[in-house]
Amino acid sequence: MRVVVCVTQILDPEIPPSEFRLNAERTAAAEGIGQQVISIFDENALEVALQLRERMIEREQVEIVALTVGPSSSADVLRKALSLRADRAILISSEGGPSLDGFVVARLLAAAVGKLSPVDLVLCGRETGDWHGGQVGSFLAEALGWACVNFVSRIEVSEGGFLMRRQSDEGWEIVWAMRPAVATITNDEANVPRLPKVRDTMLAARAPIPVWTISELVGDAAELWGGSGRLRMRELVIPSTSKACEWIEGETVQEKAARLVRALQERRIL
Amino acid sequence: MRLILVVLPTPEIGRSEREAIGAARALATAFDGEVNVALIGPVAESIAAYRVGASLASEASANARTFLIAHPMLREYAPELYVSALEQLLAAVRPDVVLFPGRTIALEIAPRLAYRLGTAMVTDAIGLRAEDGAVVITKPVYGGKAHAVVVAPRPPVVVCVRPRAFDPIKEGIAEGGIRWIEVTLDPLLRRTRLLERIQEESATDTALEEARIIVSGGRGMGGPEGFQLLGELARWLGGAVGASRAACDAGWVPASWQIGQTGKKVAPDLYIAVGISGASQHVVGISGARCIVAINKDSRAPIFKVADLGIVEEYERVVPALIEEVKRLRGAERA
Repeated sequence: MRVVVCVTQILDPEIPPSEFRLNAERTAAAEGIGQQVISIFDENALEVALQLRERMIEREQVEIVALTVGPSSSADVLRKALSLRADRAILISSEGGPSLDGFVVARLLAAAVGKLSPVDLVLCGRETGDWHGGQVGSFLAEALGWACVNFVSRIEVSEGGFLMRRQSDEGWEIVWAMRPAVATITNDEANVPRLPKVRDTMLAARAPIPVWTISELVGDAAELWGGSGRLRMRELVIPSTSKACEWIEGETVQEKAARLVRALQERRIL
Repeated sequence: MRLILVVLPTPEIGRSEREAIGAARALATAFDGEVNVALIGPVAESIAAYRVGASLASEASANARTFLIAHPMLREYAPELYVSALEQLLAAVRPDVVLFPGRTIALEIAPRLAYRLGTAMVTDAIGLRAEDGAVVITKPVYGGKAHAVVVAPRPPVVVCVRPRAFDPIKEGIAEGGIRWIEVTLDPLLRRTRLLERIQEESATDTALEEARIIVSGGRGMGGPEGFQLLGELARWLGGAVGASRAACDAGWVPASWQIGQTGKKVAPDLYIAVGISGASQHVVGISGARCIVAINKDSRAPIFKVADLGIVEEYERVVPALIEEVKRLRGAERA
């Protein structure tokens, strides 16, 4: 069984708002304000794939292939996947192509999945940690014509397909999906990403990473876009969120609690 | 301009739908447009539900219509069938803007529909306005550290509204025309099957999204036990209990309690953040709160930057005192 995990590189989402700045064109975050890291839900997706491989060890060989679309610098996230013991990793180079959005990324990934055929399962993070688009996995399923289950946190192999645990607004659901399938992965306590071993990180740093080009995958880059309606980015703005916090002090915790309740009553909250 | 709000299967047509209509009405007024409502699946087969749907439409614009799509194969939820049915609806209605309310299920249907229509789409919209015939949409990016303003140059565009970002409309009186849409669904399209649905328990009887008061715990709780205290405080306040991603990932509380960019978005009158550091991805989920109280033993925690009131203290000490204080207050109110 072959499992493809789509990963992407983003600006570290943990950088505090006080250090966040925009580029001169106000179209993205300024370069160099933080590290580039693997998008958080992609790490959960890798974890789901690794657990699936471990559970299947006696029954069937599972090959995990990590894919990313991006500039050559995004090979770092593939090395991260390799350090966690993905079997192989392929970089789809976006250099020289159109600017990336959900449609373009999904079409490139679909072409790559076709080239890797046969693929049984594709995992994507539920959304990236920078743009929060939440589209690529669903677009990819449409492009491939496969089953798609969103907000999945655990996967097991079952008759003719997969059993997926999906988060809902009220709790969770068990959904059966026909093989081959796409799942978008969300976090829960069962898929907290593991840490790589030092030795595996060193091996991953030296591993060769094949590069596939846009022309190799889809021929003409102009074809990628097709006739789809495209959004135009006008600008980014930084919202003002900072408030003046009123500190509730007191000699004892009882005093603090009483003063808090009084402050809330004065504000007509309680 | 023609707008359509798609109401997907939900236990209750409620605030999320009314907020989406609120967003649609502002846009329709600017464009002299019409707002329609489509109900699909079991909600289209319930008279009570489609009355609510019709009342939503009539509140939104004078010439509104309600479209109903019912089909035996839609009684059980399978996204691929819903996408196919909605594709047929949109071919018949030809809207310029397709709106989805802020529910998880919408994030599953909307992108696939947009892909089929070949249209632009935006999730998590917090602003929606018209400008020279184009639709201008605002959405939070970078975990809420910035807002992106994007333009959909030509219709149609698919927009998922962020919950608790728009004022809900009031419930109106059911008026306007109802039209059934016939759809053809091929059983071979079906690729998924819903086997089991589990409702997770919550700490109190109040739903997180509807709660007026929320008490929420994070990594600083140190374990599941502290959430008992938060539950007690929430019950005395008549509120609900939420959590940060860290507390859910640690397995201390169910994932459905999570508040933040990828959890529930809430807009209570009072939000009490206990042992929550205040990462952007959490704060973006509470941006609609009227008053934020932070309780944390670290005075440098970023949560204090967005809090109205702050207490620097160990929660184990101050929360029991707060429960006693609220008990006294409630007792005095009753007397």
